[in-house]
Amino acid sequence: MTVSSYTERPAHKIDEADGLSVPWSRPRPKRHGISARAVSAVTILVVLAVWALSARLQLVSPVFLPSPVAVWNKFIVVARDGFVDATLLQHVVASLGRVFAALVAAIVVGVPVGLAIGISTIGRGIFDPLLEFLRPIPPLAYLPLVIIWFGIGEPSKILVIAIAMLAPIALSTASGVRGVSQERINAARSLGATRGQAVRHVILPSALPAILTGLRIALGAGWSTLVAAELVAATRGLGFMIQSAAQFLVTDVVVMGILVIAAIAFVLEFTIRRIERVLVPWAGRE
Amino acid sequence: MPHLVLDPHLALDKVSIHYDGQPAPAVERVSIDVAKGDFVVLVGRSGCGKTSLLNVAAGLVAPARGRATINGKPIAAPGSDRAVVFQNDALFPWLTARENVAFALRLRGIRPAERARRADELLELVKLGGAGDKHIWELSGGMRQRVGLARALAAEPEFLLLDEPLGALDALTRERMQTTLLDLWTASDVGVLMVTHGIEEALVLATRIVVLAPGPGRVVRSFEPGFSTRYAAGEAIRTIKADPAFAAARGELTDAIFEGEAA
Repeated sequence: MTVSSYTERPAHKIDEADGLSVPWSRPRPKRHGISARAVSAVTILVVLAVWALSARLQLVSPVFLPSPVAVWNKFIVVARDGFVDATLLQHVVASLGRVFAALVAAIVVGVPVGLAIGISTIGRGIFDPLLEFLRPIPPLAYLPLVIIWFGIGEPSKILVIAIAMLAPIALSTASGVRGVSQERINAARSLGATRGQAVRHVILPSALPAILTGLRIALGAGWSTLVAAELVAATRGLGFMIQSAAQFLVTDVVVMGILVIAAIAFVLEFTIRRIERVLVPWAGRE
Repeated sequence: MPHLVLDPHLALDKVSIHYDGQPAPAVERVSIDVAKGDFVVLVGRSGCGKTSLLNVAAGLVAPARGRATINGKPIAAPGSDRAVVFQNDALFPWLTARENVAFALRLRGIRPAERARRADELLELVKLGGAGDKHIWELSGGMRQRVGLARALAAEPEFLLLDEPLGALDALTRERMQTTLLDLWTASDVGVLMVTHGIEEALVLATRIVVLAPGPGRVVRSFEPGFSTRYAAGEAIRTIKADPAFAAARGELTDAIFEGEAA
């Protein structure tokens, strides 16, 4: 007898923030018992085998293509004895330090900017064009300007990374804020929340899953900007290590550095996903 | 109609609602008066503007013409003197059931221990005692609506605005929730304004039923079924529903709702 109708309700009824995919809650399609993971493992093994074989048969000179074993040995050596006056761990710590300093800066600026874009027309008017301008510029393009303005010290390196992180964080925050269900905000207001309280107690927590997605994307963007940031006047860092090695054609260190950068990116991604699960366990469950 | 300000009243006076970009008003010159202790239920076909009227009372929609007042003062914004319970519960999934209920208390800066105690009392009242630590996604639809109800009551409102709160529930859960609603209403002196699609639900709960018709939304009939008063006086809900007078009232109300509709 009671049939609920939606016809007289507001059209914008979005409960989850858009762009908010929750990969772990999505059932993975499995066909004929073959899992994507197994296929991936085989792919990696094949690539490694082709690499090892080409190196073994000397299809390419070892100067240009060292064997996997040589790269692994170099990894051990650099980890123990270091390369260009620093151990591998010190390079990693220097790079991670820059990326996380940049992440903090990008959060401090990006989340409020995203909030402003999401909740206010004026905020959107101000920040949207600025972000859209900044977003597609490759870091190597603004690096010289940052150096001219801020010198060759550590702040410039952090700034270059932070600029790359800003847009993903701000835009994800904005999309999360815009996706907050109006009914939830109305509920808070009818319970006596002021506008400020509604932002703090409802809009921000509602947007948290989207903000974390933004952080994940930003860490990826920042990490891939690392080499550019360490182009100038660095004495430590993975990017610096790779460039120094390239200048002396120490290809095994270059390849090893690339693999370390990739491995750390993988670990970061994995860690943030775990953090997402702990911080926003409700995402995708409503 | 002038009212004594001392006597709590939620009043919509010749309210018209006109949404931007719509050629015709959604609601035209509707007056509804909810006094303390009233249980007023709005029914009508889709598009009659019952939810719009509730939103005006909540302060979420401004009327194009007419006046919405609470205790004589114009309604300009949402306020905790008129707590709303929505159809899609609108609970906060990052909070536990207890924290959801305590939300209004937290906004007022009440200490954590005290608000947890109050919240547990209210959960007990809506028959959810012991579920305080549960996460929202662990609760069934009926339990969620009970949390929503307790959360609204925590604001200690003079009026409760219920927007089809039982619309998404299955028939058995809905019947149980109706009893809970009646018990809460009987035990307090809160005035209720409720929107529903359920004809039987309206009859069971209301002290007064206002029937609206669409195009534009307007009041066509007003009933005082009196069944909820009988429940408050101690009669069982099954006995009331089995009463031939109930069936007659249901027929009359159904006719009023569908009057003038092209077959």
